[in-house]
Amino acid sequence: MSKVFKSDYSSEAVAGFTHRTAIEEAARCLLCHDAPCSQGCPAGTDPAKFIRSIRFRNTKGAAETIRENNVLGGSCARICPYDRLCEEECSRCGIDRPIEIGRLQRYAVEQEEAFGMRTLKAPERTNGVKVACIGAGPASLACAAELAKAGYLVTIFEKEEKAGGMLTYGVLPARLPQRVVDHDVAMTAGLGIKFEFGKKVGRDVSLDDLRKKGFKAFFVGAGLWRAKRPDIPGSDLNGVFTAVDFLKKAREAGGVPEIKGKSVVVVGGGDVAVDSAVTAKLAGAEQVVIYYRRTLEEAPANMDEIRYAISIGITVATNFAPSEISGTGRVEYVSFRGRDGKSEAKVAADAVVFAIGQDPEDMSWLTGVKLTEKGTIMTSRNGTTDAEAVFAAGDIVNNGKTAVEAVAAGKGAAFDMMSFLGK
Amino acid sequence: MAVKKDLSINYLGLKCENPFFLSSSPVGSCYEMVAKSFEAGWGGVFYKTVGIFVADECSPRFDNNSKEGLRWVGFKNMEQISDKPTELNFENIARLKRDYPDKLMVASIMGSDDDEWKKLAKMAEQAGADMIEGNFSCPQMSNHAMGSDVGSSPDLVRRYSKAVTEVTKLPFIAKMTPNITSMEIPARAAAEGGAAGISAINTIKSITNIDLENLTSMPVVDGKSSISGYSGAAVKPIALRFIAQMAKDEKLKGVEFSGIGGVETWQDALEFVLLGARNIQVTTGIMQYGYRIVEDMISGFSHFMDEKGVSSVDELVGGALSNIIPAEDLNRDFKVLPSFDEDRCIGCGRCYISCYDGAHQAIDWDEERRRPKLNDNCVGCHLCLNVCPVQECILPGEIKFKEGRRAGDVVIKRHYE
Repeated sequence: MSKVFKSDYSSEAVAGFTHRTAIEEAARCLLCHDAPCSQGCPAGTDPAKFIRSIRFRNTKGAAETIRENNVLGGSCARICPYDRLCEEECSRCGIDRPIEIGRLQRYAVEQEEAFGMRTLKAPERTNGVKVACIGAGPASLACAAELAKAGYLVTIFEKEEKAGGMLTYGVLPARLPQRVVDHDVAMTAGLGIKFEFGKKVGRDVSLDDLRKKGFKAFFVGAGLWRAKRPDIPGSDLNGVFTAVDFLKKAREAGGVPEIKGKSVVVVGGGDVAVDSAVTAKLAGAEQVVIYYRRTLEEAPANMDEIRYAISIGITVATNFAPSEISGTGRVEYVSFRGRDGKSEAKVAADAVVFAIGQDPEDMSWLTGVKLTEKGTIMTSRNGTTDAEAVFAAGDIVNNGKTAVEAVAAGKGAAFDMMSFLGK
Repeated sequence: MAVKKDLSINYLGLKCENPFFLSSSPVGSCYEMVAKSFEAGWGGVFYKTVGIFVADECSPRFDNNSKEGLRWVGFKNMEQISDKPTELNFENIARLKRDYPDKLMVASIMGSDDDEWKKLAKMAEQAGADMIEGNFSCPQMSNHAMGSDVGSSPDLVRRYSKAVTEVTKLPFIAKMTPNITSMEIPARAAAEGGAAGISAINTIKSITNIDLENLTSMPVVDGKSSISGYSGAAVKPIALRFIAQMAKDEKLKGVEFSGIGGVETWQDALEFVLLGARNIQVTTGIMQYGYRIVEDMISGFSHFMDEKGVSSVDELVGGALSNIIPAEDLNRDFKVLPSFDEDRCIGCGRCYISCYDGAHQAIDWDEERRRPKLNDNCVGCHLCLNVCPVQECILPGEIKFKEGRRAGDVVIKRHYE
């Protein structure tokens, strides 16, 4: 019998480094001349530089490098897909295994917090130009940070009560504890950025209202918040969740009490599906099975996360797509059809979580901005839209990629905004 | 928004932007190298030693030794003084001073008699060097009228220091060899000869490894090898000892010290400063990692000053000296028992093995629970704390006074890395 790892919903999946183990790991680093890891980071976090700082006993300098290049360095340290970014590029792969870059980054950021460092400070002089960022997710925070560093007066408008976007509402806390997101947000806010929570631009306040208030440019980092539901019978039954709602509910309540001891089916093959399944399992579900319509090799989810899910007793079934959900008033059974066109399955379940992707909310209020068929925003490479003074980046433009890519895109858009405002 | 402190310090009457200098060695032997180091942030250079003698080098000329997979614990070098023409070296010094007027140029020179020393000193002054260092200490010279054979003779050190200071007003620094018992003696001789500063240490005569293929030492030069200088992290403790002894020497009051030996990090540099050095020289760390290490030296040093509320490097110079006292003056009235953190303990038993085999059999091993338990044999030596692989698993605990001794306040270390 294989050993199944037990833990709680909120306990962290991986332990961090101590000073000594961090130095040991940093000492494994080859300190490459033209470090490929640094070239592998979309957000330019520069692992080669911060690992070298740790190696030479300058942890504070390491924290500065991370924070100055990537305001969400703490969160990225936890959820970045290293295995296909910096760590995949690591030269040490040619000897044995890559340096644990993510864990070293986590260590440096933890030390930043422990030392009470104020790595980011508001510039002594501002330029008096007001800009607005819509949404408080990774792209917006990164964009806001660059603008604030350059002296702009930045206000972030966020529909929810907390900043962080998907980091706060859409990731498993075992992978990304809320305090890590909160620390990143606090450091970013230290640049003098203002937040207006509970205010959705386009609903509670219009762009014209903001223009009248003196805002000169706008960044739209609205993200993808409308979860897809499949068009199959029974998808409106009680007990059917979308992943976004399920993860948000779990994070806000610290678990999902109604699935304790129950049987849960998760549909999807990405990181969000795996996070939903792990959430269900750690929240006390008796049985959790992930159903994915293709094979494991085709699944976009991080293989380490899938391995972790299996290690805590989750089953992954492939080549099955849901065809019907049935039950009286609430979910009792889920039926699947095989990819081969012949296989069929009908399993008993108390809840179904659909993690099959998210769509943008209605963006038509952005007058003059060109949208794609899917409803995402069309921009030039660095986030310039067709509407004057309106910029966009992150999930709302790329249709849902990683946090680190959103940070990179948000930074890029900030530079476009500055050159527009500088004209 | 990185923390940056003013690391400038006055050294021998001249302002340096920071105390971090290249030492006279392969790392500062031509224009391009020194220029690159200045761009990287080094405050100055002790340019590779220039002589009338032009070195004829062997190949290969380096070796290193390792421990448990960690290479370069120590480094061996057989290179002598510059192998470039004397005039070219002084031209380089002149160009560097012209192109980098804010950086300090120290010309390191080595003669084989009074006339050569005087001639080289004059050439250095004409080239526009800010200071002159006399290399009395290279341990691998192929000519015995030069190098560490000179440095171990106080008479020759005094005589050549005098020869230099008679012909130039530039501050003169004597670079000492550690291949002696007491460095104060040649250092005093240098001061008597007019030296304003002492730099130490040059490399230690060594044989790093024996090559079992050719039955000679490393590196193998046509089947043979020679004793030559050892440097790197392994020599830092020896260098610190020499600096501390000289800095505490009454007869060397007023002499300024430049610390050399195994510096790789800001912390290494700070240790030399706390023992009285106003200037820090680095070679081996650069040979292994490049000029870029100065970035973390500057940043790390700045953070330390920031954390301690120190506004200038000057305030730190010699800060630890008064706490280094003769063995006979130590308080020996107590013992500090180790305290074991059961939650941190991973049950490896290394403390038990080391205590039994290397100390006082003061740890019993609970085989059931795989945890150490201290018994009454403990003398408070802390071998267990030194061998434990887990950070802060074993820490200083209860302080016990020896029988018949008066109890009082005892200062102990609380934080271990």
